[in-house]
Amino acid sequence: MAVLQMQRISICALKKNRKQILETLQRRGVVEITDISPQDSVFTKADTSQAKAQFEKNAATASQALEVLDTYEPLKTSMLDMFAGQALLSVEDYEAFSKERDEVMRIANLLVSLNKKVAENKAEILKLQAQLDALTPWLGLDLSLRFTGTRTTAAFIGSLPDEQTLEAVYTQLAEHAPEVSAVNVDLISQSKEQTCVMVVCPRADAPAVEEALRAMGFVRPASPAKEPPAERKVMLEQSQAEAEKAVAAAEEEIRGLAGMRDSLRFMVDYFSTRSEKYDAIGRLAQSRCTFLLSGYIPQRDCAALEAELGGKFDISIEFETPSEEDDAPTLLKNNYMAQTVEGILESYSLPGKGEIDPTPIMAVFYYFLFGLMLSDFAYGAMLAIATGVLLVKFKNMDAGLRNTMRMFCYCGISTAIWGIVFSSYFGDVVTVVSRTFFGHEVIIPPLWFTPLDDPMRMLVFCMAVGIIHLFTGLGIQLYQHLKAKRYMDALAKVVFWYMLVGGGILFGLSTEMVISILQLKFMLPAQVGSIFGWVAVIGAIGIVLTNGDSKNPLVRFAQGLYELYNVTGYLGDILSYSRLLALGLATGVIGSVINQMGSMAGGGVIGAILFIVVFLFGHSLNLGINLLGAYVHCNRLQYVEFFGKFYEGGGRKFQPFAPHTKYYKFKEDIHNG
Amino acid sequence: MANLMANLGLAFAILGAALAACLAGAGSAIGVGVAGQAAAGVVTEDPNKFSKVLVLQLLPGTQGIYGLLIAFICLSQVGVIGTPVEVSFAKGLMYFCACLPMAIAGLVSAKFQGQASVASIGLVAKKPDQFGKAMIFPAMVETYAILALLISLLAIMGVSNINI
Repeated sequence: MAVLQMQRISICALKKNRKQILETLQRRGVVEITDISPQDSVFTKADTSQAKAQFEKNAATASQALEVLDTYEPLKTSMLDMFAGQALLSVEDYEAFSKERDEVMRIANLLVSLNKKVAENKAEILKLQAQLDALTPWLGLDLSLRFTGTRTTAAFIGSLPDEQTLEAVYTQLAEHAPEVSAVNVDLISQSKEQTCVMVVCPRADAPAVEEALRAMGFVRPASPAKEPPAERKVMLEQSQAEAEKAVAAAEEEIRGLAGMRDSLRFMVDYFSTRSEKYDAIGRLAQSRCTFLLSGYIPQRDCAALEAELGGKFDISIEFETPSEEDDAPTLLKNNYMAQTVEGILESYSLPGKGEIDPTPIMAVFYYFLFGLMLSDFAYGAMLAIATGVLLVKFKNMDAGLRNTMRMFCYCGISTAIWGIVFSSYFGDVVTVVSRTFFGHEVIIPPLWFTPLDDPMRMLVFCMAVGIIHLFTGLGIQLYQHLKAKRYMDALAKVVFWYMLVGGGILFGLSTEMVISILQLKFMLPAQVGSIFGWVAVIGAIGIVLTNGDSKNPLVRFAQGLYELYNVTGYLGDILSYSRLLALGLATGVIGSVINQMGSMAGGGVIGAILFIVVFLFGHSLNLGINLLGAYVHCNRLQYVEFFGKFYEGGGRKFQPFAPHTKYYKFKEDIHNG
Repeated sequence: MANLMANLGLAFAILGAALAACLAGAGSAIGVGVAGQAAAGVVTEDPNKFSKVLVLQLLPGTQGIYGLLIAFICLSQVGVIGTPVEVSFAKGLMYFCACLPMAIAGLVSAKFQGQASVASIGLVAKKPDQFGKAMIFPAMVETYAILALLISLLAIMGVSNINI
């Protein structure tokens, strides 16, 4: 249970050792490097953006090349591969890979250019196809489309709108150009959209015929070729075949390079690591022979780093506790069980300055509430076993994913336990199967009670859980106030609230009305009740008197009253825990509905088959939907109800200077992982 | 006449169950539908976000299930499923009323939860690392469906214990 104490680290060393020192720091991954602004003319900052950009470009090229490979030679992957995590790479392999980087980068560029070639040629094929399509109506013509006539005759080659007969064309020509005596029209092709014609007339009549044709909607073909259409077609088809061949060859070449996948992956990691290093160099202050580095380091790593660096180099290392103004990052350290919900906390917000890490307390409630919401032995066992198997099978699983898997594993165990407590095994499958197929009903008795038979009792239990959860949250706030010696805040914001809410609840338990609504079997004696009633009144008065911060007593009183209004918030918060009942019942009842539907065909073979089909389909659906519901609402209870009582967050995540690789894990950093 | 009244009781109870399933289901269909459109839009840009936006799309789907749950409990209480029981007119009307919170709150909350989901899907599209927070906004709307479910559930259970 801790936010790790951070230290400011300052390193001053010789420039000739810069490379090794930075590499050591990167490998250990325990220092977050911050920007230093040089204050005098001795130190300057190096501009590494160009080198960095080059490395980033290389990394991008390598990942593009990988994408190309994946397109043409997809790896056979299964759903499970997402759990596999990063492969380990030994130092020797690292050296071997990095030696061939020029060659690999050449291949990466080649792959990218081959891919471009494929794309270009494919576009070319489409273009040629369009030209071929445009040529089709003219295939009957054995002249070039550019043909305009002989010395004495003029020829017009083009298309008229709509499908027209030869006769109609003659008639229209005669109408539009009655003075023209000799004209010959050849129909080349006809389709619904157009009629392709060649019109020949004496040169002298050409202007009149052209005028007439224009009036008829005559259009010349776009970009006519020199060759006659048939010849042109052969040429186009040849180019098309060539382009197709080029595509096939390029694709073949790409497939031939599939063996380079591992090297390319390495290159992505290699160059992104180097780019990070240059980013770090850019943050240093450098003089002619020395450099300064400043950053944050968790206190627990100080000694080890000092020993390693001090032993190897001429170096000066200083540690100091960060001041109040420093924007120190946050790193959490929790035990094995609690670590798993760090992700949940992180997606809310990391603890801010002076706040404690609520992870361990949250973890306990998280598993408890999650199990209560899903509460089915079979579902919980399946969840725990599935995640457990994945965890055992994939040792290299990414740390974040591993945590999530472990969290669901524990949630599954908790779910299974609640399932036994409330007697839910795939809903009521044992009862239904024994009744339908074996003729006598078997009922597994619950360890405690069945919520569906006694929902009021379950509701009271859920709200009691809620009150404990909320009061724990308040307790953490109390602890924080006391730790910071803010005794007045502790009294005003926590103790009075405890008195008001706690006293109010206990007073309620002594009244007839509350007891009958909640159907409780016990009742507090009236005297005890009135004592708690007075406690609550004192709490309320205390809240009104102490929560204002204005100088004007009237305004202060109003502020106090406003604070007291928050009591409705407590009511809402406690009622909010009724979702535990609703979601828990939903799982069980829907499970029962599925079982009942499955057993509708009665016993026997057909009944059994129907039952199995409905069972498999229905329960996977129910598990999926309720798993989602339990996860979302468990988070909500933590974020809104629990954190609302004490937690502000706002911490910045510790982001150490380390190799952030995508495909490989370099083996050296196992030692300090 | 008395016989007719008794039958009417059963009819009202079934009407209540039908409304719970229909309205809550329709609300969920609307909610999941609009969220699905937004989710599909995000996936065209970045297929890797599929699992995240799918979760957000599914959030307004629970009302339909709560509606189903109320309908099922109601039907089994009045003996349409399982052993038949006598349902008086007054009791049937009570069952009908008991189903209403789930039906109405289910319809409205699912629709608006769907809209909150759409906004959250937009949030995840721009900032995938804020998924945890994005999930909470639609979940806030669902609270009211859960409260309605609770009241409907308690009411149906309560009505079945009343002798009228």
